[in-house]
Amino acid sequence: GLDRQVRLDADTEAQKLLVTWEDGRASTFDVEILRTELMEIVFNETVVATEDQSTGKHQWNWTSPVPLECTSLSVKVRSRDGQDVSEWSSQQILPGLDLPDNTDSQMYPEGKTVPVGSNMTFCCIVKEGQQFGSLLYKDTLVKETMLSRRTYATTMTNQGPSNPSGTNVVCSDEKKMIITGAVVFVGYPPMPSDLVCETHDLISVDCQWSKGRETYLFGMARQTYYTLNGRNCSKARDSNMRCGLEQWDGNWTLVARNLLGEFRLTDAAELGHRVRPVAPVNLTTPEVYSWNASVGWLWKYNGYERLSLICQVQRTSHSNSSTQTYTGYGLNTVVLKDLQPDEKYNVKVRCGSQKNFWKWGEWSLPLSFQTKMDRPVAPDIWLWMDSDNLGRVLWKVSTTSGYEVTLWSPEENSQQTLTLPQSMYSLPINVTDRWSKVTVTARNPAGVSLPANVVIPRHLPGKNGGKGSGFPLSWVAHANASCGYVVDWYNTSCTHDCNVEWTRVCVSINAFFSFAGNFFAGVRYTFSLYACSSESTVLLERWHGYMQELVPSRTVPRLSPNQEGSDVQLTWDQIPLEHQRGFILGYTVYLTNASHLTLLANITDPQLTNHTVKNLVLGSYKFTVKAYNAAGEDGGATVSISLDPYTYWLIMEILVALGTMTCLLIIITIACYRKRKWVKKAFYPDIPEPKLPGEWGITQGTLDVKPSPHSMVHIVEDSVWDSSKEALVTVPEEDEEGTGDEEADTDEPASLRYYNQVVEEGSSSRGRPHASDSSASSTGSMDSGHTDVTYTGIQTSPDASQCAGGGGYRPQMQSASCPEDPQTGPEEHLQPPVGSFGGYQPQCSWKQDSPEADGGGLDQACLGSPTSVTSSQFLLPYDTSEEGKEHQSSASTWFHNLLTGKP
Amino acid sequence: MAGTRTRRGAGSEQSRTARAAALAEELHHECTLLLDLYRKKETFAEELTVGGESLVTVPPLSSQLSPNDMLWRLYSALQQCRNLLERAIGREEAVGNGGDRAQYENQKKTVRDRLGHLLASTRLLLEDGAGTAAFTPEPKNSEIDYPGNGSPFALKLWIYRIFNELEHWTLTASKTLKALHPDGATPKERRTRGRARGRRTRR
Repeated sequence: GLDRQVRLDADTEAQKLLVTWEDGRASTFDVEILRTELMEIVFNETVVATEDQSTGKHQWNWTSPVPLECTSLSVKVRSRDGQDVSEWSSQQILPGLDLPDNTDSQMYPEGKTVPVGSNMTFCCIVKEGQQFGSLLYKDTLVKETMLSRRTYATTMTNQGPSNPSGTNVVCSDEKKMIITGAVVFVGYPPMPSDLVCETHDLISVDCQWSKGRETYLFGMARQTYYTLNGRNCSKARDSNMRCGLEQWDGNWTLVARNLLGEFRLTDAAELGHRVRPVAPVNLTTPEVYSWNASVGWLWKYNGYERLSLICQVQRTSHSNSSTQTYTGYGLNTVVLKDLQPDEKYNVKVRCGSQKNFWKWGEWSLPLSFQTKMDRPVAPDIWLWMDSDNLGRVLWKVSTTSGYEVTLWSPEENSQQTLTLPQSMYSLPINVTDRWSKVTVTARNPAGVSLPANVVIPRHLPGKNGGKGSGFPLSWVAHANASCGYVVDWYNTSCTHDCNVEWTRVCVSINAFFSFAGNFFAGVRYTFSLYACSSESTVLLERWHGYMQELVPSRTVPRLSPNQEGSDVQLTWDQIPLEHQRGFILGYTVYLTNASHLTLLANITDPQLTNHTVKNLVLGSYKFTVKAYNAAGEDGGATVSISLDPYTYWLIMEILVALGTMTCLLIIITIACYRKRKWVKKAFYPDIPEPKLPGEWGITQGTLDVKPSPHSMVHIVEDSVWDSSKEALVTVPEEDEEGTGDEEADTDEPASLRYYNQVVEEGSSSRGRPHASDSSASSTGSMDSGHTDVTYTGIQTSPDASQCAGGGGYRPQMQSASCPEDPQTGPEEHLQPPVGSFGGYQPQCSWKQDSPEADGGGLDQACLGSPTSVTSSQFLLPYDTSEEGKEHQSSASTWFHNLLTGKP
Repeated sequence: MAGTRTRRGAGSEQSRTARAAALAEELHHECTLLLDLYRKKETFAEELTVGGESLVTVPPLSSQLSPNDMLWRLYSALQQCRNLLERAIGREEAVGNGGDRAQYENQKKTVRDRLGHLLASTRLLLEDGAGTAAFTPEPKNSEIDYPGNGSPFALKLWIYRIFNELEHWTLTASKTLKALHPDGATPKERRTRGRARGRRTRR
């Protein structure tokens, strides 16, 4: 047996149990550990424990997987020597915190920090009298194990990193109320990297490193702390991993430490090898010009004065960005060259140590400045020929305020200057003009640029004719033709895949050469002469030529006539080059009569492609236009035109005639109005006294005359009238209602009634029935003309009242419905009004009123008039409607007023 | 006490009560959100409840109390809530387990500010009554201090309980103030506006 009892010492934080006992003889022991309350064996093994010579005791360490606070443990030990074992020692109990006198609920381990991947057992000690419910790791329910009456445990394996406030393990009762809990912080030990130390001020040291892997441990107690050469780096937090020392040591050790461990990094270097200058400050531009500027700055540290620096100056304008490098001791000013005038620049500077270059320093803050304006550079100009004679002087647009273009003629010693705006960049020229040189200058507020010149080519493409089998060419020797000349030629009208031939001519004096080749007649060739020099070949001259000219192979295209009044303008196009077969010298215009051609014009300007034939009379014409060259005329293009009458002249004439007529009518109207009395006298004389050639017979009816101011009827009573003619007898108005047989005289001037006594001379008329045919009626009318009445003015249509009031004088018109008609029998009144009476009906209304007349003639409306009437008045249709009456009345009144001069 | 109230300020008092009721309702909403954020931050299962005695200790708010007495008790409870919240915020800052919890931190500040406004509004209601002279602010309660002995979980549970108390007392305040306000319509209208405003704040 063991001499003395076993002693237990617990390290709860480390969950270690130190077992100590005394037994001087053995070195091997059996150790048994049980959970006291439930008597569950948690450890039962043979261990080796040597004797501590100083104390004479045996010690053995055991690390419990379960926190020692969770429940009480009983430990007993016996010695072993092979198969021989001693007696068990008495049980030694390590009391847990689940003893009844410790009533509170608890959980262990609490607030522990462990590495990621650790296994841990948590135990929950339920409050005395409380019922255990469940255990949750984070928010996950985990399986628990009962360790004692009040203690329940769970084991978590391979734990992952915690969130910043740790991982919670929560113990709840059966009502899901939180009893207690614990927090475990699972993370990593620090592992920084890349420690680099450098100096900015040439004295102190600034070290930086990378944080490395995330530790997942936060808070004052668990975060990572750094020391550099033993000094705390309190500012090294979060992502700002840097630490400084006041003096350059040459060797540095960084220690990173948290609850899970520490990590060391070292660095070593000479000061001169680790200089990283600070950013320049206070950038200024002491001098700014058009093409350059100086930039200066200040250094924060005086030590830079002796430091050889290399600096980069980055300048940025709107168009581009560039970086230039400068060197010097304590460099603090540089000159920027090749700047553009009137340009805004941004510059920034950074520097490094030129000797043992380490790193570029930080960029300075940018500085902006603008260069001064300068006179523009000479324009880049070119002469571009778009035809043999015409071209344009072109120049490249730049930032200027305008251009001046000067045309020179040295031969005439004259010049012409044009001022062009900024937007212009070309000027058309004609090489046939006298100008031989063009100078272009650009100007801006700072001044005028140098001139840019271009020479207008003096040599127009010449014409050349072949001789024999070749072309003779000659030119003036050119100074730059160090290696002779090159002449090339090709078919001018060729447009695709053309054959170009050339030959070299080695002469240095004025030359005349004849080039033989495979030339065809009627084909235009272009020859170009180049001066050959070591640098390049220069075009000197150019010719066009035909080996032999032929007449054009086709006529002028698109010949068309256009009539312009009595002229005809002929237009046509030029013959295509390949059909010209010679230099076109001009055109001839002919008038074609059958097969005979009459020459109208010979146009000697080949560029002119129209001709006007003037003063032609109406008719058809045929014109023929022929182009001609040295070989002759082409077949001629013919066009016909028929000259139309000049329609617009006709219209004009009609319009003039109409205008004249209108004027004439107006004049006549005015004249008539002025001379209306004369007109009246001439055309409307007073009605003469009625002439009664014969005796007036029996009065058979009344003739009512109302002498109103507008009376149209003038009864001329002549005292010398023959009594036999007194057929018109005034009848008193009052008797109107009477039978009409009674004769009564009256002084009433307003209304006169005349009884028209129709004289019937012939018995034939008497015996003739009224309802005779029209010819008989006509005869009767002629026969009965014994009364001559002249009317003036308009005869207004009588209406019913007039009829009722006596009817008035109504020649050739009698209404059968008039009740006053004394001769009308009762049976006639029964007759309905005859519609045919509603208008002027010459020889159609009169009826035999005489008692002798038989009344059956009413339906025979057309009878011969008993009265011969001479009338010049307008006889308007009789309208029964009121409107018609009013209209007639107003019209007649107006016309009457016109004639009588009344307004 | 109620009988000594002045008639003169009755109209303004009503509007103040309505305003305080709306404020309390809005604050209750913010406290609910704060509690939710904390629960998520600490991965506390939603079904778990917080046991133990209440951290805020006031006599019960029975219906037999006069309105002013009721306001007094309510005011006292809210005062204790504010003290607890301030201590909780201080504790969390001291531990410094911040990490990336910006929304939670902002919500804590929002609740703190609005709780201050509610306290001021409630105090105005009290001052209108006759109990102004007897006003004794911030009753000291030593038991509300952090009991954890450095245990991280005890601190978390304590803060969790504080947020639960806040949620409870702001709801009580909202209900009590609404009951004290004779016209129930006005707080209702305000509530609608208050919630809208609250959402904007949360964004």
